[in-house]
Formats: sequence, structure tokens, C-alpha cells
Amino acid sequence: MGDTNSNNGNNTNNNNKKPEWLQQYDLLGKIGEGTYGLVFLARIKSSTNRGKSIAIKKFKQSKDGDGVSPTAIREIMLLREISHENVVKLVNVHINHVDMSLYLAFDYAEHDLYEIIRHHRDKVNHSISSYTVKSFLWQLLNGLNYLHSNWIIHRDLKPSNILVMGEGDEQGVVKIADFGLARIYQAPLKSLADNGVVVTIWYRAPELLLGAKHYTSAVDMWAVGCIFAELLTLKPLFQGAEVKATPNPFQLDQLDKIFKVLGHPTLEKWPTLASLPHWQQDVQHIQGHKYDNTGLNTVVHLPPKSAAYDLLSKMLEYDPRKRITAAQALEHEYFRNDPLPGRNALVSPNADKAVNYPTRPVDRTTDFEGTTSLQPSQPVSSGNAVSGSIPGAHGGTLRSGPRQMPVGPSTATGEKKGHWNGDDWIPSTAEIKALRLWRHTGSERYIWFIMLELIRYLSECKVEMLCHHYLETLSFISRRQNLKIKDHRVYLFSVRCLSALTSILLLQVLMVSWEVKEAPTAH
Amino acid sequence: MGLSLHEAVEDRETSPLASQHFLLYFFNHQTRNLEPSGNIDIKVSISLRIFLVSDPNMAANFWTSSHCKQLLDQEEVDVVPPLDKEKGITLEDFKHIKMHMANYIWKLAQHVKVRQRVVATAVTYMRRVYTRKSMTEYDPRLVAPTCLYLASKAEESTVQARLLVFYIKKLYTDEKYRYDRYEIKDILEMEMKILEALNYYLVVFHPYRALSQLLQDASLNDISMTQLTWGLLNDTYRMDLILVHAPHLIALACIYIASVLREKDTTAWFEELRVDMNVVKNISMEILDFYENQRMIGDDRIIAALSKLNLKP
Repeated sequence: MGDTNSNNGNNTNNNNKKPEWLQQYDLLGKIGEGTYGLVFLARIKSSTNRGKSIAIKKFKQSKDGDGVSPTAIREIMLLREISHENVVKLVNVHINHVDMSLYLAFDYAEHDLYEIIRHHRDKVNHSISSYTVKSFLWQLLNGLNYLHSNWIIHRDLKPSNILVMGEGDEQGVVKIADFGLARIYQAPLKSLADNGVVVTIWYRAPELLLGAKHYTSAVDMWAVGCIFAELLTLKPLFQGAEVKATPNPFQLDQLDKIFKVLGHPTLEKWPTLASLPHWQQDVQHIQGHKYDNTGLNTVVHLPPKSAAYDLLSKMLEYDPRKRITAAQALEHEYFRNDPLPGRNALVSPNADKAVNYPTRPVDRTTDFEGTTSLQPSQPVSSGNAVSGSIPGAHGGTLRSGPRQMPVGPSTATGEKKGHWNGDDWIPSTAEIKALRLWRHTGSERYIWFIMLELIRYLSECKVEMLCHHYLETLSFISRRQNLKIKDHRVYLFSVRCLSALTSILLLQVLMVSWEVKEAPTAH
Repeated sequence: MGLSLHEAVEDRETSPLASQHFLLYFFNHQTRNLEPSGNIDIKVSISLRIFLVSDPNMAANFWTSSHCKQLLDQEEVDVVPPLDKEKGITLEDFKHIKMHMANYIWKLAQHVKVRQRVVATAVTYMRRVYTRKSMTEYDPRLVAPTCLYLASKAEESTVQARLLVFYIKKLYTDEKYRYDRYEIKDILEMEMKILEALNYYLVVFHPYRALSQLLQDASLNDISMTQLTWGLLNDTYRMDLILVHAPHLIALACIYIASVLREKDTTAWFEELRVDMNVVKNISMEILDFYENQRMIGDDRIIAALSKLNLKP
């Protein structure tokens, strides 16, 4: 179905001139999107690996005329050198000389820790089995130990970058992915901090938050500690609100979240602390609150004498030089106690049953060019709906009546709901459609629909998260202010979102103070 | 630890041929001493491996790297691609053009201000490309700057294509070679073709780090020895050595030449390393041969070789 749609002539690229390499795959649809480009799901056609699923990451040609993105180059460079069971496998690299785009083909993994954690938290409402947690952690450490012993720091470990294989011979095997920020740390040509501090803020190590100039593999171990805690509690351990507007690595809120749980770092425990730029400069801010009792065991609900707690606290050691290494962690008592970790993390050897995790949603309306077909997957009652997919059909027909609205709250059943993944707002299926129509027609109606969806989501949020979104949107707007006219609508949209957010935030704050129990609904 | 010295030398604009007259002197007077001393051992011994691999600065593991697996025999490198052969390019011409292009990369690099490491990687890319592709199809005048461009990204010190083209035009407008006929667009297109030609293997191990470690280990890390060996090492990129030999062996050859030249007795130290001295001595001979021949190559030779290629003006 997706194929026929992609032939709609609205895109400038001629789909009949598919590059040869592309014909070895059956494209199923889009499964992800990032700043670098798009990710697609495809199947191999050739007889040897027939039906094998492949994830294809497409890198956009950078707009400023600077060729293949350095991120892609680094990712290829590293992945071509390494090979390990717990590291994602780069199967192929392809170049399309016509539009100068670059494609990386990986073995496809059906799950990732982000989705698994979310499934347990939002759907099944029970914790992940201790066998599964231990197996995830062991395999993650095993892959990381391999990377570190090859002098590679990942620098961006977070649940969504840790993949888990679905059904097949490798079921339940963990794969570390996304090496766009990884570095070989032989004699860095520039101090790593100069290239912009990375690592998603919730998993960022304290030494980075305090402005350390050089990082070590210990930053990855901090992230593993945070992920371990998240696997146990199903909640991010340190959910700080990020201030993106400044180039400054200093993130007061994130640090405060850490100190609240782990207590204040002291010079006795962490002697090099005094030399970190922000420890000195922002002394009154950081040291304003005094937290000294460690509440980690109560946050993660572990008995303080358990092996799991011992390992976790060694990963969350303040001093990077004292923090446990991947190799040491693999030797930890925790992994020698029952239940022993296994290769298939999803199915324990003496298990009753495995949890059925949902498969990745596939957007079947997007082709390799990233152009989307306009036909909504949900047929609209009126006949004119088809006109949406006719090339050149602009606003006119689409605006013809309210029932043209291809999506609405009623279609939400069985479709993906919009949510926040810690990094990005992941739009619902309905919202994607509305966005597409909005881009195509410029009709305000769609913006309002998207706003409604957002409001619906936001009204379910805690105040903390709202603040987070608020800051995100604010910094987004500040970054967008010098954009071209084409992006102006995006800018306008985010301004509207901000005003909506402000009112919701106010409402919620008021509710808290009035002790209103029920959250307002969108209607 | 050693890094400051290392960097100090790296940033110095060591003229590639600064040491030439010494070497010619050396070549005429000392060659006899280069006969194998009879102390031959099994290839690279365990002790040296551990020494190089266990050192954090050695970075990812050379012995399991694509670089190591891709090392070629000299005979495989010394093949003129059929298309170029048809145009009358001899092996000599082929080598001269590659050397000339290495110099070109070097000169460009000095203007766009990237470090020696990036230049070394760029030259290696260029040489690897010509073990698989012809100069007829891959115009060296475009391949050379593009390799520098790609290497700058791989080594994390990205140079903008715009800047590169600016300097090419500024520096080479009047030349017969017409380097300046290429635009940003051509570089970006060639970048992808080079990625493909390299089969997406981009990690290159260079002898620089091994050199400073080995010098330190041999207690030869005084300024004079460091400068001499560093200059020698830079010059090895004007040949195909990096495609044929493991980086630490190239470093050892540079130390070997320098120590004979400066009359330092390193016999015991080399013996302790337990490397195949035959290989080290052979590399040293190649380097010295190169210096000897290099004198005879004038600009006219290069122009003649390039004109055989019959490239677009």
C-alpha cells in the first residue's frame, strides 16, 4: 500500500529511478526520525537472507554545503572497526550519488530499553523481572567493556540507544547503538568539551555537569548506573530540567536532582572536585542546599546490603576515578547470585512466560526520499478525501468542510499516542497526519488540532515535566529566531505552543495550590 | 606524559627535506653498516606487541584493525592501473604523481591549518584510493584536496569545503596544473566516491605516537633526535610505506636511520625489542633510496607525467 502511495507525483524525485542497491530491499516504512535524518525498516529480498529485517538510517545532505555529515563519518569509521555481540551490527553502507545521501543499514532490533521501560510503566503496571534486568545490565556492560577496551567512549548512552533483539535466533540480546557521538579517545585533537558537551542530560555524569574538560570512559558508567536504576523503578533516576539556551555545560537543576538523592559531594570523597570550573564559579548556587544523607536505596527500593545496591552505588560514585569500570562491574557479586544473567534477556530459562512487548510502530506512508504520501490510512467518509493524494491538490479541496479533518480524537484507538521520550516529542499517528496536511495546505485548522493533541498530553503531565517542556519550547524558539521564511510556520507554531503551555502550567500550579484532585481534560 | 613534546614537534613546520643533505652524506658513507646483523627474530614478538597495545595512547587495537588487515605487499602497491597504463604512465610516473599530490596536500594543509595527523591520514587515503582506482577516472588534482577534506572530518577537525576551495584558487591560479578548475560541488561529489573507494574503512594508524613512545623507551628523546626522526617520518608519507608496513616498524626505521646518522649505539635496544631487524633495515634502505632518487625529480618530470594523463585542462 505504501508503495502505490509513494508514486504520487508531488515529490520531485522520480521513484522509478531507484538506485540499484535499494532494489535489494523491500521498504516497509519509517520507524524513526532524528536531527541527522530518518530511519527506515526494510526487508532483504535476496535469497540468502530472505525476509531478514534491516534498519536503514538515512543521513541528510547537510544544507550548508558541507558534504557528508561528520557524525555519519564518525559512526561509519567506528562501526567498520568493531564487532561484538552486544554492539549493533553495521551490515552495509550505501550512497545515492544523485541526491548525495548516505544510508547505513543495520541489523534490525525490535525493542529498546526506552520502550520496554515505558511498556512496564504505562501498560502492564508491574516491574521488569529481576532476571531480565540483570541480563540487560550484564550484556550492556559486556558491550561497553568491549568498546572501552578498544578505547571508544560512547558518550550518549540512554535507554533509547540500547536496543534489544526481537523474535529470532538473537531474541533478547542487547545491542548498543547510535555511535554518532562516540569517540576513539586517542589523543583528542581538540578537548572533547570544545565540541559541545554531549550526553542527554538525565544520564550525564556530574563531572561533565561541573565543566570537566576531558572525559573518560567513566561517563558511560554513570549513564549505566542511571539506566540500571531506571530498569528497577521504571522512572528516570535524575530528571532534571535542561537549560538548552546556554553553551555552558552547567545544569543546576540536574545537579540538584543528583545531590538530592546522593547527597552533596565532598572534597574528601572527590579530591579533584575543587578543580572543576563550575564547582568554584557557582559555589553559592551549587552549595546552596545541603543534602548529606544518601537516599539512593529508598529511591530504588533496594535493601542497602544487597549486591544490586552495592553495584549501583559503585556506578554512581561521584569521583570518576573511583567509579567502577565495565570490566570490574562484570565481575561483581550481583551477577554471580541467582538468578544468573542469560543471553536471552526476555525469556528466563526457568520462566513461566515472557512479556509481550509491542513492536515498533512503522509509518508506512513515508518513502526513502522522506516524502510522505498524503493519503490518510483511515479512510474518510466523504469521497473528496481521495483528492488529498492527488498531486497539486492544494488547500482548496481540503478546506471544503470540517469532516475533511482526516484525524480526530475518535481515530486514536489502535493508533500510537503522542508522548515525550525524554528528548523529543514523539507525535501520535493522528498528529503526524495533521502535521503533514498542515505543511501541505497551510490551513490553520491542522495547527489547532495538533495543539489540541499536545494539550491533551500536557494535561496529563506532572508540573515538573511541564516546566521541562516549557524550557524546551522556549529554547527551541530562541534557536529558531533567525530561521528562513520556510521555517517560519514552525516558529509560529512553537510560539503558540508556548502560550498554551504557559496557561496549562499556570492552571496546574493553581490546581496544586487549590488541591484540586482532577486534571482538566482537553474539552 | 611526553604529550607536550609530542605536540611541540607536531606543530613545528618541519621542512620535509630539511635533513636531506645529512642523509645523502649518510647514504654514501654508512650504507655498509646496514647489512643484517644476523640477529633475526620471529616477526613482531610478543614483548613489543604488549608494549604498544597496552599503552593507552595507542588507541583502538592496531592488530585487529582494518588498517592492519588491509596492509599490502609492495608488489601490490606498485601496480599502474590499466587505464593509466594505456596512456603511457609508467610506474615511475605513477609514483611521482602520488608524491607530488602528497606535497600538494601538505601545502594546502598548512594554509587551512590542520595538524600533521590529518595530513598523514589524507595522504594515506589518497594512496589507498590509487591502489584501486585509476588517475584517469579519479583526477588526482581533485582527489588530493578531497582526501584532505575527508580526513579533516575523520580526525575531528573539520575544514569547510568553502575554505579549501578558497585556498586552492588563491594559491594555484597561475599554475600549469590547473588545480583551481574544481569547485565545492566537485569536492562534495568526490568525497562520496572516495568513501566508496575506501570501502568505508577510515581509521588509519600512524607511526607518530609509536615514534615518541619508542624514542622515550630508548632514552633518545632529546630535541635533536626527536626533530630528525620526526622529519624522516613526515617524509615517509611521500612514499607508499604506510600501505605496506605496520606503523611501529616505520617508526623504528626512522629511529634506526637517525641513530646511525647521529652515531648513537642502539644495537642493544633494538635487540631487546625483538623485532625483525631485516624488515626495519629494509624499510630504512627504502627511505634512503627515496632520498637519493628524489633529487632527480624536477617539476618538469611531474608536468610530463601529468600531461600524459591527458586530464581536462
